[in-house]
Amino acid sequence: MSILTTMADTLTPERAADSLCELSADVRAAVLLDAAGSLAGAGGDGSEHARALGELARQLFEEVDRATRDWDTEPPEQVEVQVPGGAVFASRTPRWTLAAVAKRGALSSLTLYDLRAVLAELEGGPPIRRSRSADEGPAGPATEEFAAEELPMPELGE
Amino acid sequence: MKEKRKGPISRAAGLAEGVAATVRRMQREREPRVLVYDPAGYARLVQPEARGHERIMAIADEMVAGLEGHES
Repeated sequence: MSILTTMADTLTPERAADSLCELSADVRAAVLLDAAGSLAGAGGDGSEHARALGELARQLFEEVDRATRDWDTEPPEQVEVQVPGGAVFASRTPRWTLAAVAKRGALSSLTLYDLRAVLAELEGGPPIRRSRSADEGPAGPATEEFAAEELPMPELGE
Repeated sequence: MKEKRKGPISRAAGLAEGVAATVRRMQREREPRVLVYDPAGYARLVQPEARGHERIMAIADEMVAGLEGHES
């Protein structure tokens, strides 16, 4: 039973962009590209323009890499572009690139954090836990083992 | 050290200063710009006169404009 639940919760590339749109209220559309630059998923308002959005996202990182080629730093992992009509955020790992078009005034730090979180989950990291009210009850079984997993206590030195 | 404000007028002036500073910061954050972040999270501005800046802005503009038809 728990195996089935875990499988159902696993984030797939097809769902990643949609997951970002659900997670971040300021994101209007998002696309996920694979390492080859091909569209792997889309979400939000731009689903019908996903292919064009994906191509632009690919070009965005190409241009960023070109612009920062001579910098004595590591290649950028995330990009933020503020334009008069809104903002574009993009984040990448060696396997995936996730790009989002956000509303004007979207909080950069939060949006970039959400991008990173979705990519981390896609890469096999722990699933993003959404906060829930106390009325909804605990997220898992009310056992001591579950509580211990949820709130790991730091080991004290001897 | 920030001087402690006394009296209602002084406190209201302090509030107004805070609001003005917030508005200024929000305006600054919305100014057209390109920021790149390294894996450690450090941000670096791509200067407007830098190679590729114009093209990056144009691509982002196109991405945003592509959604304009969906504006609610």
